[in-house]
Amino acid sequence: MSTLLHDTNTDRLIRMAFLAAMLIFFALPIVYLFSTSFKTPDDVLQGRLLPDAATLKNYPNAFAHIPVARMIGNSVAVALLSGIITLVIAVPATYATIKLGAFHRTVPNITLASYAAPPIIALVPLFYLLQTAHLMDSIPGLALVHGLMNLPVAFWLLKSFVNDVPAEIDEAAWIDGAGYWHTLFSVILPLIFPGILATALICIILSYNEFLFASALTFSDTSRTITVGMSLFQGERLVNFGQMAAASFVGMMPIYLIAFFFQKYLVGGLTQGSIK
Amino acid sequence: MAVFPSASATRSDRGVNLRKRAEWGMTLPLMLGLAIFAGYPLVYLVLLAFSRSDLGQQFQGFVGFDNFDWALTGTDFPGSVGNAILFALIVPLIQLALGLYLAVVLNKIMRGGRLLRTIVLLPLMTPPVMVGVAWKLILNPSGGWLNGVLLRWGVIDAPVSFFGNDMLAFPAIMAADTWQWTPLIVILCFAILQGVPHDVEEAAALDGAYPKRIFWTVTLPMIAPALLSVYLLRVIMALKTFDLVYTLTFGGPGNATNIATFEIWKTALREFDVGLASAQTLLFALTVSVVTLPIVLLLNHLEKRR
Repeated sequence: MSTLLHDTNTDRLIRMAFLAAMLIFFALPIVYLFSTSFKTPDDVLQGRLLPDAATLKNYPNAFAHIPVARMIGNSVAVALLSGIITLVIAVPATYATIKLGAFHRTVPNITLASYAAPPIIALVPLFYLLQTAHLMDSIPGLALVHGLMNLPVAFWLLKSFVNDVPAEIDEAAWIDGAGYWHTLFSVILPLIFPGILATALICIILSYNEFLFASALTFSDTSRTITVGMSLFQGERLVNFGQMAAASFVGMMPIYLIAFFFQKYLVGGLTQGSIK
Repeated sequence: MAVFPSASATRSDRGVNLRKRAEWGMTLPLMLGLAIFAGYPLVYLVLLAFSRSDLGQQFQGFVGFDNFDWALTGTDFPGSVGNAILFALIVPLIQLALGLYLAVVLNKIMRGGRLLRTIVLLPLMTPPVMVGVAWKLILNPSGGWLNGVLLRWGVIDAPVSFFGNDMLAFPAIMAADTWQWTPLIVILCFAILQGVPHDVEEAAALDGAYPKRIFWTVTLPMIAPALLSVYLLRVIMALKTFDLVYTLTFGGPGNATNIATFEIWKTALREFDVGLASAQTLLFALTVSVVTLPIVLLLNHLEKRR
């Protein structure tokens, strides 16, 4: 009887082989990128997993080739500013929609519709808008675009967290005479803090990683982000892969640090927002 | 209260007013934001699409449906829409199959959770442009890892140019996309599986059903609507793909990997024909709704049946 309930050894073997294959698949490109960043140009051509004679030169050379540090700084500034813009707008709106029932059909529908629309739709009109507002090629300009771009994502992530707060808590605060804004800030915000943190992190990562708007709306070193900087390697006739890998790796670090330290919140946010 | 009915009425009136004010104050910024990001572009695009416009000078004259005509008959646009739809419907299926199976496996073994979670999370977090760089390094003809391995094992005699080959360029982009997005599906499917009530599966097990049979006949039908919504999410995301094509193939070779977003980008920012690009954008937006609608309807149907 008990043999019927358990998997056969073959099943277990297949599972383990699949797991191992997928883990290698996930890890390999990052490992190879990291290893390539220590290769000399000759070494790169060998196509081996590990460098023959590791060199550190690619890192200073990449930084001399494009202003990597400056671009990462720009990316971080845009991401943080856009994250603030997104949350300041999305948190009260989510609260009002869920708890006060304000436009409880309209708001979800229009956020969903604008999420489904490919961002290329907004590219040309926003290009002119930023030009008119004198925000072209500036950190606040790109941050504003990213901040608005992430509103639908933030709304849908926050929605499930706000939903989890029992209605009695809000009603008790209102009966005590607390205003709606006051209830939101002093009662609800502390309760949904993990959700707000997860939403903030996801929006910051989406902004940091974004390329389409960044490439069209920033073009000088004062505002160009690291994803745009990486694409500069593409245009060259002879790409120095070692330097490109080094710049990529440094450019990925801020996001990987977030992923490493906040993985619990990130996974929680992604699952809450999409499943519930 | 009974003595001063009018007073209490005004108080509750004030309460209603306060509530209305809070509702408006809290939601107005969101509506404005979406109006700027989605509403205004749509109106602007319609105006541009019926005009002769280039990037430097817009609205040089009303041209009727000329831009639409030209987009459908004189450009690579229809083919690029076909590529985009094919890509957006197929790739998520592959990712859903891989991701679901991996989630099932992870659901069975609960050791090493933290390490596994980190490895799974990293591709998802990687900026798509850097995903492009990493996969360029893997697949490059000169010095790519895959070519190195295949040459050393004697599978091939000369390096293969994955991005320069009509038949291989799209699969190469699909591989990179699958690398980036399967992790999201693993995370979501894992959560879906954790939500499956144990008692149903246990009852089936007591009836003597094999684990595999339980999965196919009991678990899978139960989680089907959730899986469909994950698929829908990925289809919508896949229709927005741009960065990978830009970094890996630039739409080539020829038009083999040219997808609608990239074609529109080229028309607007390389050929500066903003009027034509706007017409293409509207046609693409229409296509996106037509493609996603059946999935939405099926999803609604499944959820109602539950």
